[in-house]
Amino acid sequence: MVAWDFADLRLHLPVLSAVLVLQGAGFALGIGLLLGTVPETAAVFLVTGAPVMNLITAGLIFEPQLVAQQRVRGSYEFLQALPVPRSAAAVAWYTVALVTAMPAVALTLVTGAARYHMNLTVTPLVVPAVLLTCLTGVLLGLAIAHGVTVPMVAELLSTTLIFVMFGFSPVAFPAAQLPGWLAAVNQWLPFGSMATIVRAALTSGVASGVPRAYLVVAAWAVGSALVVAWAQGRRG
Amino acid sequence: MDGDGVGLFRADGVTKVYANGIRANDGISLRVAPGEVYGLLGPNGAGKTTLVKQIIGLLKPTSGRITLGTCDLVADPAAARQLCSYLPQAQVPIDSFRAREAIVLCGRVRGGGGAAVRRRAEELIEALDIGEWRDKRGIALSGGVKRLVGFAMVTVCPGRLVILDEPTNDVDPLRRRLLWNQVRRLGDQGAAVLLVTHNVLEAEKAVDRLAVIDGGRLVAEGTPSAMKSHDRGRLRLQLMIAPGRDAPGLPPFALRSTLVGHNLMTVIAEGDAAVGIKWAEQVIADGAAEEYALSATSLEDAYIDLTRRRPGDGDLDGDGG
Repeated sequence: MVAWDFADLRLHLPVLSAVLVLQGAGFALGIGLLLGTVPETAAVFLVTGAPVMNLITAGLIFEPQLVAQQRVRGSYEFLQALPVPRSAAAVAWYTVALVTAMPAVALTLVTGAARYHMNLTVTPLVVPAVLLTCLTGVLLGLAIAHGVTVPMVAELLSTTLIFVMFGFSPVAFPAAQLPGWLAAVNQWLPFGSMATIVRAALTSGVASGVPRAYLVVAAWAVGSALVVAWAQGRRG
Repeated sequence: MDGDGVGLFRADGVTKVYANGIRANDGISLRVAPGEVYGLLGPNGAGKTTLVKQIIGLLKPTSGRITLGTCDLVADPAAARQLCSYLPQAQVPIDSFRAREAIVLCGRVRGGGGAAVRRRAEELIEALDIGEWRDKRGIALSGGVKRLVGFAMVTVCPGRLVILDEPTNDVDPLRRRLLWNQVRRLGDQGAAVLLVTHNVLEAEKAVDRLAVIDGGRLVAEGTPSAMKSHDRGRLRLQLMIAPGRDAPGLPPFALRSTLVGHNLMTVIAEGDAAVGIKWAEQVIADGAAEEYALSATSLEDAYIDLTRRRPGDGDLDGDGG
């Protein structure tokens, strides 16, 4: 199924990867252009938050849009009728999302670190942090893609969540800058916690509440996986 | 037909009532034996697609059983996907794939061995005469060629039940024949083939038996010859109504008639052929029709008679099936 997904998306994957690079590196550099001088702490949040946006977007946006297209074109049922275990199809899509996102993650980090003259402290924890963040984004995307049967609603929902990630979640800025109630809400939402676990693996002494953040992200992964299993098992 | 033989497909009393109360299938029972090509005919909204979705595990019947051999397809939808190959009415999603690659990948996904799938893919490409598009991407293929590639994808490593929904849509007449040959070959190789179609004339030649579904119910079942037996000793008198003119009043010897667009199809007794021709020539002389044709009745006449819609009937599937 991995071969199928890569062949299916081969005309689009380079573009999707380029869009992610523009998103991550563009965001990190664009904020610098906007502010002129970026304080060191803000730069750390910016540089370590932008690749998290890449990871989330790869899972959360692409799959709902692809499935929405399949539903509109009538090919969704053909693909659902293939004799592939749902779990294998999900793993295949996770692989595709990772491969698509990783070049952007690396380029975003390198570009941001160079622009803000920052030395990142990359630890081995970066592997589980990146894998879990991408997995949770993919599972959220799959939950929307298969749980919401009206294509336009699915696309709107995933796009809305991306806006929530950009503007209302402490991904590229500290949670303390949010209003108290929104910071409290974000304690239970996945995006800020995703940024926390990735940031903890790239920096020293910046991220706090890391174990809890892992738990929150893992809980969202499990919850999303349950929704995906329910949505794909439901038969009208 | 062998009673409970390996590979026998059975639907017993399959009923599907949607949450909004629409009864899409109502107690449908049918059997398809291995090696048999079985046609499923019916007008739009008859409930054909709903039945197919229940077979392949995408919908669950409200009541009834669907089995293939000893396997309960309702209880085990994963097995249903393994045992059934399905070509939907919509085009397969192969824009990014090269034709041969799509066929091979589909065979691999269906569990076929690499060398065997590649060999069979080449055989199908030759048999369907689509070799010149072998290495072209799906996005560059015409609708008909894409349809043939889809057929090859579904049959390169076929399940025990092969479901083909309008397989010849957009396919040119010569390659249609090639496709029907392959459908027949599927049967010869032991697969049960369920052919969903509106194309009654093609179905008449291609299927061993067929069922007509209307309003969610199975209204007739049998061989094409048995279906037509009701019209034995009868002829079809067909009139092309002139543009802008109303259909003429029916003569007393017309047993039944149907108007489809400008095409008035009337069934008459063989003994009334002479008066029928005279009547048709008079209608043409009056300028109400442009031409007529007298021919043997076909399965289409029986089908039209069976599925003549009642006022107030509505579509059930909403998706062409």
